[in-house]
Amino acid sequence: MGEPLVEFRDLAVSYGPLQALGGVTGVFLPGATGLLGPNGAGKTTLLKTLLGFLRPDAGSLTAFGLDPGLRPLEVRRRIGYMPEVDCHISGMTASAFVALAGELSGMPRDEAISRSHEVLYYVGLGEARYRTVDTYSTGMKQRVKLAQALVHDPDLLLLDEPTNGLDPAGREEMLALVGDVATRRGISLVLCSHLLRDVERVCSSVVVLNQGRVAAAGELATLTGARRFAFDVRVKGAAAAFLTDLKDAGCEWREGEDGYRVFLGDDVGPELLFRTARECGVQIRHLRPAAESLEDVFLRALGHEVQD
Amino acid sequence: MPIYEQGYRRWEARGPLRSIRFWPITREALALILAKRAFLGLLVLVWLPFVFRVIQVYVVTRFPEAGRLLPVDGRLFGEFLNQQSGLSFLLSIFGGAGLIANDLRTGAILVYLSRPLTRRDYVIGKLSVLLLLNYSATLVPALLLYGLALGLAPELFLKWSLAWIAPMIVLHATILSLVVSLVALAISSLSRSARVSGLAFMGVIVGLEIVRGVLVGILDRPEAQVLSLQNSLRMVGNLLFGIAEGSAVPTAYPPLLLIAVAAGCLAILRSRVRAVEIVR
Repeated sequence: MGEPLVEFRDLAVSYGPLQALGGVTGVFLPGATGLLGPNGAGKTTLLKTLLGFLRPDAGSLTAFGLDPGLRPLEVRRRIGYMPEVDCHISGMTASAFVALAGELSGMPRDEAISRSHEVLYYVGLGEARYRTVDTYSTGMKQRVKLAQALVHDPDLLLLDEPTNGLDPAGREEMLALVGDVATRRGISLVLCSHLLRDVERVCSSVVVLNQGRVAAAGELATLTGARRFAFDVRVKGAAAAFLTDLKDAGCEWREGEDGYRVFLGDDVGPELLFRTARECGVQIRHLRPAAESLEDVFLRALGHEVQD
Repeated sequence: MPIYEQGYRRWEARGPLRSIRFWPITREALALILAKRAFLGLLVLVWLPFVFRVIQVYVVTRFPEAGRLLPVDGRLFGEFLNQQSGLSFLLSIFGGAGLIANDLRTGAILVYLSRPLTRRDYVIGKLSVLLLLNYSATLVPALLLYGLALGLAPELFLKWSLAWIAPMIVLHATILSLVVSLVALAISSLSRSARVSGLAFMGVIVGLEIVRGVLVGILDRPEAQVLSLQNSLRMVGNLLFGIAEGSAVPTAYPPLLLIAVAAGCLAILRSRVRAVEIVR
């Protein structure tokens, strides 16, 4: 995985009397990281602190080993930021807008102009690049926001709700682009979203924020990995007796869409399922360790009961 | 086209950060403003007084007897710049009203400030747009006029006793352009609508002029002369070019007011130009 690109330790940030982040600790590793949380969890605040827009009240944050509060320009030139809100320069064509963004990031003008065309082609706006951004649809505006964040080839891309306001097809295309940036182009990114499926599709690790605190963090595969004592089971025969016997043996179960999810006791293994099935005269037609979805992880991190 | 067939080239030629970072902001904003035909028309209008002054200079230098009626000396340039100040306000309304207001409305301010730029770079970039526009209405024609006067009548102008004219033109044009630009920019930062900013700017100028007129004319308070921005600029110009001023206002008042206005505008810009808007 490599060295963390961003590290924050006991980071506290407030807007006047309102505390937005209350001592969060975590890292953003190379690769694609999902920054999850309900509205008001502090996701955007964390990104803005990373960009040096906000000064922490306490704790520390470093990006590429630099403190954004002390050396904001050096940090920002290595970051591409796609804000959640609409952003464009009124009256300017997409190619001029993206070229300006590149130039402001320190690129020579000729290089910025040439790269703006490349990046606009990359995000699928090649044919529309000489139109003013004011005339663009919501989906096109999202793409041009991504283009301006990519034009200077950042080391870290911060994407704040990149699929906001997009129709299903537009959302798919945007996620494909973001996934391509992360996997094939080798740019690390932080995808800030409250849409779990977006994060699940693109990211390899997540940080879940809730009420200004880190509620869960880690590799997505680990967090959603198979739980040792939970199994998805489908049976043929007297299921009611089978489930009653399991309950008597100290197991919990819930009905799923296609069978049952059985939670075994701490000191028993899956052989209990086979034994009980034999005793009840039912056939086990399907048995596999149950994997949690990101939604389960998210809800558990937020303190909600996980629903099947 | 599927995105995996679209090219993306890494760019690894990062050099050191530029020391002058505001220029792209200025250049692009100027290009957008000058792309409007109506604004180009306004620029032509702004240069009309220059044409009349050129004729004046030509006539009095060619026919010395006309010089008794229309003297060509430092006063000519002072009066010319005072006259241009009104047009400078017009340029600032149409050129400057949307400079920050539009960025606040469209969220472009985040694009600027998430780059390796400071807030100061951003403000200087936007201020330079207005300074250049205002210089095109004040400094450039005034210096051209001076050059023309020197060329047409060196015996009148090329002498040590009049050597102060050129520096005073630069100083007056700079004070005028800087103050007008700062006021326009500060008002632009107070709204998300260019139209509202433009109207507010016009309201401030006209409103202060009316207040001045009422206080001076009806209540007979001469010190109220400085209340009008345009009048204060004119008084400073008169002071620089030695034009007799009829009012009883202490000499220090107009420059002090202009300094206070400039400081106030900088304070407004400091509080309004932010990447994070804190709503309490």
